[in-house]
Amino acid sequence: MEILNNLILGFGVAVTPINLLYALIGVMLGTLIGVLPGIGPVATIAMLLPITFNLNPIAALIMLAGIYYGAQYGGSTTAILVNLPGESASVVTCIDGYQMARQGRAGPALATAAIGSFFAGCVATLIIAVAAPPLAEVALKFGPAEYFSLMVLGLVAATVLAHGSLIKAIAMVVFGLLLGIIGTDVNSGVLRFTFDVPELSDGIGFVVVAMGMFGTAEIIANLEQGEKREVFTAKVGRLMPTKEDFKRAWPAVLRGTALGSFLGILPGGGALLSSFGAYTVEKKLSKYPEQFGKGAIEGVAGPEAANNAGAQTSFIPMLTLGIPGNAVMALMIGALMIQGIAPGPQVMNEKPQLFWGLIASMWVGNAFLVILNLPLIGMWIKLLTVPYRYLYPAILVFMSIGVFSLSNNPFDVLIMAIFGVIGYICVKLECEPAPMILGFILGPLMEENLRRAMLLSRGDPTTFVTKPISAGFIIASVILLVIVALPAIRKKREEAFVEQKT
Amino acid sequence: MKTKIKGPKDFWAGVMFIAFGVFFVIWALTHYQMGTAVRMGPAYFPAVLGGLLAFLGTLVLLESFVMRGGALTLPFNIVDMAVALAIFAVVMYLAKVFGASMDYAILAATAIVSVLTVLLRPQAKALVLISAACVVYGYLMKPLGLVLATAALVFIGAFGGHEFKWKEVAILFVVLIVFSILVFVKGLTLPFPVCPAFMETCPIR
Repeated sequence: MEILNNLILGFGVAVTPINLLYALIGVMLGTLIGVLPGIGPVATIAMLLPITFNLNPIAALIMLAGIYYGAQYGGSTTAILVNLPGESASVVTCIDGYQMARQGRAGPALATAAIGSFFAGCVATLIIAVAAPPLAEVALKFGPAEYFSLMVLGLVAATVLAHGSLIKAIAMVVFGLLLGIIGTDVNSGVLRFTFDVPELSDGIGFVVVAMGMFGTAEIIANLEQGEKREVFTAKVGRLMPTKEDFKRAWPAVLRGTALGSFLGILPGGGALLSSFGAYTVEKKLSKYPEQFGKGAIEGVAGPEAANNAGAQTSFIPMLTLGIPGNAVMALMIGALMIQGIAPGPQVMNEKPQLFWGLIASMWVGNAFLVILNLPLIGMWIKLLTVPYRYLYPAILVFMSIGVFSLSNNPFDVLIMAIFGVIGYICVKLECEPAPMILGFILGPLMEENLRRAMLLSRGDPTTFVTKPISAGFIIASVILLVIVALPAIRKKREEAFVEQKT
Repeated sequence: MKTKIKGPKDFWAGVMFIAFGVFFVIWALTHYQMGTAVRMGPAYFPAVLGGLLAFLGTLVLLESFVMRGGALTLPFNIVDMAVALAIFAVVMYLAKVFGASMDYAILAATAIVSVLTVLLRPQAKALVLISAACVVYGYLMKPLGLVLATAALVFIGAFGGHEFKWKEVAILFVVLIVFSILVFVKGLTLPFPVCPAFMETCPIR
């Protein structure tokens, strides 16, 4: 029972008072920023990154991880009560959660979301404990060709589940990859696309890009739409779902957990992808598809379980391969590097306390979150009654401080503003920013591995399909693309997203 | 025969992708070494990707003539955008010629574009003023310190919204600056100057 021993070691680390405290701080902050629309885990973790330098590595990672999965809980509260995604992964929860609230069933919706998330969180923790060690073993055998193909699969997965046009999503990925090239070329030391601006020689920080594309761009879009929030604060009512609700929600939670855990592992996956996937699945399998969009409890239970499971299993590629599957994981890698730990398959053997302590802390954190989100729900609801015109200047202040503090350079803030404008234009042109950010994060890694793989194979590109593991990833990518490009499925997919928008 | 654009969003997205793609290809090929497939030079990856982006952009562009899409509603047109970019280019060029600080040039250009927007394109107020607020905050931090930079950010940002009430915004500013100082300067010990650089003794440190 190696896993059991490892988990015991992990819990020994996680329940020390100091680590419990940091887990609590993390999930509190996570819930807070999850509830507040317009500020997400990326901005928060980026802001806190510099101070983790003073913490010990375990406490730092426990806190930062708590922010990410805590935000998934908080985001659902805002989605259900205000019809705004408090966190981007709860976009689909808005659809049925808000309808439930309008029917006076906000309480059961909130409870379903919290309980579903808790269940998913527990299962995902176990999955990480079981799946990570063998994956790390396999990862030790990965060469550059395998890494490259795995990243291709991740990028394809990210485009397939984005909204709207597939071609545009792929184009956005490529655009992101190109922006990732800016800076010093690792192989030759040549400065590429820096246009003699010294600040660009290290490349553009992805925190800066993410804050602009998701942060300022969203504030601008919200301001243009005007304030039309309807908060169901007085009518939360009784929390517990009825027996009938329970019966319908359970299978959805199970399916959501399974799907979310799987999609989270893929690079490019994570909370956002999982919740969209789960909603589509629930709608297809439901006996009452006509109720979707009108307050079907499955539409809350499935995606909420999925986004929490996905948030947690997305730690797997980061911990075992050192590949950041999404922006949050890229920040986690940053946090590890600050502590002088190179992420990769060796972390598990060299730092078992860090690895298993982090996993065990997720269990602890999920338990905290249920308490924070069910009995204490009233506290968060109060927060939602604060008008947006007070909120957004505060968010602007926090984002600007965070970006400025990265290197104490106003240039970063300027770049953030520029990407805010680009993000705004992209949204107007119906080009999704999420695939672009992923391309941007993976760009340098992909180029490095591509060049190494080609060097090893003496310029023979078939190396990607003759190595079995690499070939598997490539075939999976092609299958995914073909499936989505098929006219019948394409139509279904578009229908699903069109209905979700209303 | 005049072809009709059915999807303006796709049309402009296509144009944008083609422009970026072509730019990356040309710049990479003219400035960096291409290398071979075995030993890729610094130009290889960007040139291939740039070509791919331009190709995808062409597909999107062609689609816009066939598939019907929703109307594009931007609060500015392409001429406005060109004018704004030109203002930045001219001011920054002048700063370079006269040896003035580039930071102040960016601030000045931001101010000019913001004022012009408020006067001529009030519908783009949110876009320009929110962005300007961040830029101003960044570039005022070193010369004027955290307090005044935050004031600029909050007031300009709030002015980009729908309602602007002096009293409300002033209270909001006080709350935010107290919070910033307590949490970021005292708590997290970020090395921000609190007071303007010209003040010799700062009451808050």
